[in-house]
Amino acid sequence: MNSFHIILFVCNWGPHSAFQKLQDESADIPAEVKMVRIPCAGRISKALLIKAFEMGADGVMLAGCHPGACRYGSGTESARQNTEDAREILELLGLKKDRVRFATFLPDDSEAMLRLLKDFSNEIKRVGKSPVIPTRKPAPGPIDKKKVAEVVAAHDIFACQDCGKCSSACSLAQMGKPFSPRVVANSVIAGDIESPTVIENIWACLTCGLCYERCPSAVNFPEFIRDVRHVLSKSDRAGHETHGGFFQSMMRTLTSPDLKPEHWEWLPNDIRSNPDGKVLFFGGCAPYFDIFFRRHLGVRTRKILVDSLRLLNFFDIEPALLSDERCCGHDLLWSGDQENFLKLAALNVESFHHLGIEEVITTCPECYRTLKHDYPEHGVEINFKVTHLYEIIEKEISKGAVDFKKMDQSVTFQDACRLSRMERMADLPRKLLSRLKPKGFQEMKDHANAAVCCGNCSWIGCDSFSKALQVQRLRQAHDTGSNLLVTACPKCQIHLQCAMEDPFIGEEIKMEVEDLSSVIARTICWE
Amino acid sequence: MLKERNQDSMKKEILITGFGGQGIVMAGRILGQAASLEDHHESTFVQSYGPESRGGACSAQVIISNQVIHYPYISRPDILICMSQAGYEKFINTIKPDGMLLVEQDLINPRNAEVEIFSIPATRMAEESGNKMMANIIMLGFLTAVTEVVSLDAALKTVTRLVPEGTEEKNIQAFNKGWDYGRATLKGREKKAAGQTGAIS
Repeated sequence: MNSFHIILFVCNWGPHSAFQKLQDESADIPAEVKMVRIPCAGRISKALLIKAFEMGADGVMLAGCHPGACRYGSGTESARQNTEDAREILELLGLKKDRVRFATFLPDDSEAMLRLLKDFSNEIKRVGKSPVIPTRKPAPGPIDKKKVAEVVAAHDIFACQDCGKCSSACSLAQMGKPFSPRVVANSVIAGDIESPTVIENIWACLTCGLCYERCPSAVNFPEFIRDVRHVLSKSDRAGHETHGGFFQSMMRTLTSPDLKPEHWEWLPNDIRSNPDGKVLFFGGCAPYFDIFFRRHLGVRTRKILVDSLRLLNFFDIEPALLSDERCCGHDLLWSGDQENFLKLAALNVESFHHLGIEEVITTCPECYRTLKHDYPEHGVEINFKVTHLYEIIEKEISKGAVDFKKMDQSVTFQDACRLSRMERMADLPRKLLSRLKPKGFQEMKDHANAAVCCGNCSWIGCDSFSKALQVQRLRQAHDTGSNLLVTACPKCQIHLQCAMEDPFIGEEIKMEVEDLSSVIARTICWE
Repeated sequence: MLKERNQDSMKKEILITGFGGQGIVMAGRILGQAASLEDHHESTFVQSYGPESRGGACSAQVIISNQVIHYPYISRPDILICMSQAGYEKFINTIKPDGMLLVEQDLINPRNAEVEIFSIPATRMAEESGNKMMANIIMLGFLTAVTEVVSLDAALKTVTRLVPEGTEEKNIQAFNKGWDYGRATLKGREKKAAGQTGAIS
């Protein structure tokens, strides 16, 4: 099928009158345009704009009311901003920004609308068919209990002694959520998988791994949850994707093999990389985060990648960069979409092997864990070494002749669950921290293997308990008397900064947050 | 240094000083044998304990040349390596004006030195890796990296051959630590000279 698909979101007010006039006149609206009437253009979020492309659209036009004519006041401006951000995201995805357009109309602008539609349709034909293959989800059916039993057996959940250490440690339970890993485990063993409470709990788990840390029988609860989610996602009991499902859409879009993302176009010119190098730096999704959260949190996670690369350059390491780098798939895997995770894994590994990459360096704890463990464990063979940036930096610093500038801040550290607990590397960031020269360093009450989660994982099920957790964590950070919270994961940064936006207690819990790579990069110097 | 070595006439006079027991003589022997047996240069090695030996000052004199060496004693070293303050005080005034000074940074305060100084906390590094006896080997690695008077390969082979049996691996590790430190120091100076002091600048 070679026909084009253009989605026209039409605001119910001005633009819809104009469109109706075109319909009344039987105007020659391009056949590929499919109109969807919506209450207000401002309600078409970035997530919805990108979702259209995930589902196979070649172009999307958002038609809103003329500036000043919006019934709800801010609709036109919101739509303009969302379109602008979506265009940048499309560039990153390699879909070209021209595929999304925003236009405003007064009710009697029907001729202008027809002209624009024809123009847009020609434009899309010029840009060409979208290389995205829609990822079709099979129709939801009942929960496959046999599969659930297989997951239980595979993770030997029967080993649970019902001692309850997990529940007393669980971050969610401590926030007062009626949640207990042990109860979930035993309910699933007892065949209670269809109970709404159990299902809610399975999607609410943060998979932070504190329960596994405490479990005397080594029941790997996070991985059990991950695999039960995979079974549930095929039924009508799928989880709630946060941020309108934007991140899942983005990741699924990236599973199309013919898509050529442009992941590094934004990188400053002074970063040195080596296209023929056998050591690759894998960045992760930070560029997407910064665009998506730009207007809400002012997230600056790209800086982590820039500073990591500057650190490598400082030691004369010039890594290769994969211009069409895709997401590692961590969040798809942990939110139940194993199929699309495997597609991403296969595409990434194929790109690495094609370039003859021998070592992959990453600074993202999730990418690290996923590339290193989850790829091979899910049958995607890797023949390269996976290294965390901290390992390289520590090795280079220990060669000597390197010093650190004094900092005028006191520092505390938020552990990343994937790095500190799952990969058992809590000592490594601390070793680096001990080399720095801050005014002071004070651990939070819960730290290292016992650290508390940043409140959310894999973009699902964020709720008031997540928020309470973040607030508690930030209070712990304040209690250390520090004024800089150092993080190791871009997600920790995003989630903790989100809590600081609280209109009531935001000021009280506000704290400067900076990634460890950035702190090292700005203080390191030759002796 | 490398360039000089390839020229017709090359002669380096190296003086290593420190306390008795620091392995000064051992370092000198390794250096001399590396130069002669592995790099195929001429070399001489003279060790001197003062009357204050066993804990007092001691020194080793090594000459490396591509021509016959007629006299093994050194009065004006090209390279002075100091692992004790006493040794430093005694010999600092003998170093040639364009000479190189290598010091154990925690044990020496290089007052009034008018030559280029390279320092390394060799003893601390040796202690951190579990054996402070290896400070001399760390210094040797540092010396090899910074001065290039012997090749890396020659130094490694000679270290392996001369250290007590069973300690080869540890000594090679120590040597590499010093060598890495030396390379890092050179790189840092190069970067600083080019105006790049930090990662962001």
